Amino acid sequence: MSVNEKFTAIRKGLLEFLVLKIVSADKVYVADILGQLSGTEFATQEGTLYPLLSKMRREELVDYEWKESEAGPPRKYYQLTDKGREQLRETSEYWQKISGTVKGLGRD
Amino acid sequence: MNKVITINLNGIAYQLEEDGFEALRAYLDAAARRLEGNPDKAEIIADIEQSIGDKFRTMLAASKTVVVTKEVEDVIAEMGPVEDDAGETGGPASAAGRGPAAGAKGAPESSSAPGGTAGAAKRLYKVRDGAMIGGVCNGIAAFLGIDVTIVRIAFVFMAFMWGTGALLYVLMMIIIPSANTPAEKTAATGIPSTAEEFIRRAKAGYYDGMKTFRDKKAYREWKGQFKREMRQHKRDFKRGIEQNVRQWSQGWRQHWGLQPHSHDTWIAGSFLTLLITIVSVVGLCALLSLLLTGSIFTFSLPAGMPLWMAIILLLLIFQILKWPLKAARYSVYYHGTGGPGYCGHGGFFFGTLWWVAILLIVIWVANHHSVRAHEVLDQLRHESHQFVDSVRDWWDKP
Repeated sequence: MSVNEKFTAIRKGLLEFLVLKIVSADKVYVADILGQLSGTEFATQEGTLYPLLSKMRREELVDYEWKESEAGPPRKYYQLTDKGREQLRETSEYWQKISGTVKGLGRD
Repeated sequence: MNKVITINLNGIAYQLEEDGFEALRAYLDAAARRLEGNPDKAEIIADIEQSIGDKFRTMLAASKTVVVTKEVEDVIAEMGPVEDDAGETGGPASAAGRGPAAGAKGAPESSSAPGGTAGAAKRLYKVRDGAMIGGVCNGIAAFLGIDVTIVRIAFVFMAFMWGTGALLYVLMMIIIPSANTPAEKTAATGIPSTAEEFIRRAKAGYYDGMKTFRDKKAYREWKGQFKREMRQHKRDFKRGIEQNVRQWSQGWRQHWGLQPHSHDTWIAGSFLTLLITIVSVVGLCALLSLLLTGSIFTFSLPAGMPLWMAIILLLLIFQILKWPLKAARYSVYYHGTGGPGYCGHGGFFFGTLWWVAILLIVIWVANHHSVRAHEVLDQLRHESHQFVDSVRDWWDKP
């Protein structure tokens, strides 16, 4: 099993955290999110992202508004809600703790 | 040369090669199935359709108006299989297979697998949506792929010509399971309900799509294409009907071999047919009056007789009344023609269903009028319960 495969579940679990981070920076639409993730280890596809975003919207972490685009039909632009910002803060803190733990244990 | 199918994704029309259309439909079916139970299913599907439409648009130009199959497959691969995050049931095992790296590999798999279920195994269910009584006719119509009205007429016909329709209906109502879940409804019709929905929406979108066209030339071209397709549908439909009628009349003649021999037999036959029809109509009225008022033409039922038995008895009586008439008609038609020997109506009369009906009545009468029979039946019921229980115990035991 390659390292890539071993971390599949972890990447999947972290995806929501990363989407929160991306959406927190600016109002974005799905292609923006995919673009920002595409070069990274977390590259993903619409088939995964749309269900995730709809779940996050149901949990009131993100919200969207329709905006006209230059080419084609209007698009959904996503932004964080207050609850989403709170969740992002908590998750970031937790992530700091985890990475601190990983660094602090044993030797490299 | 490939056939082109016009579809509508979120209000904009696209022309796809037929194989590409099938692949896309399979992809969206698979997506809808995986999102089954997700409260935002419709919205997610709409998002995905819009995204696919955006990708198609980048592939088209003034000189290229059709999305070819290869391009559809590429788009599907780029979209990746739809995963329902809300379910969280996939677990690491399925996640490993559907990671980003496996996306391109996963797509053809997801587009071919539902292809197998497009002609999904049909099962006979009662379909209660739009049913008149219990959904039996609906279910049979869906199973055979014919119009429900034909099935209903057939049942009514059977009920009053041979008396078996009503009994058959009640039996089927008891035996056939209902289609309740979407999956069962899918199995009942053989068409994935989501694909049906997709086609319906695509058709509805035809008209919406027309309004959103800005380019006059493309609009005219597309309208022409639409009209051609509709004309083709109409022709196919007409041809199908004509073929059906021809087969029916042929089969009818072969089955009955009713070729009136002479003027006399024709008159006698018609007269007998008229008599049979009158008896049938009276029977129908009697049954209706029984069902509506609980009594047959103001003759109320004997005390303690259940309705089901009255119905069976009524049908039986009219069956007996019609039997000699039918036998007479049959012999008139085959008198001297050397046609197939008389063997028909005895079969109807002593058909299995009538034996079941008579047996039911005998058991009921025995149960109510003989103490000894009542005891035996009670004992039998007790023992059958025990038997069922023992089978269940055996089954449940690991």
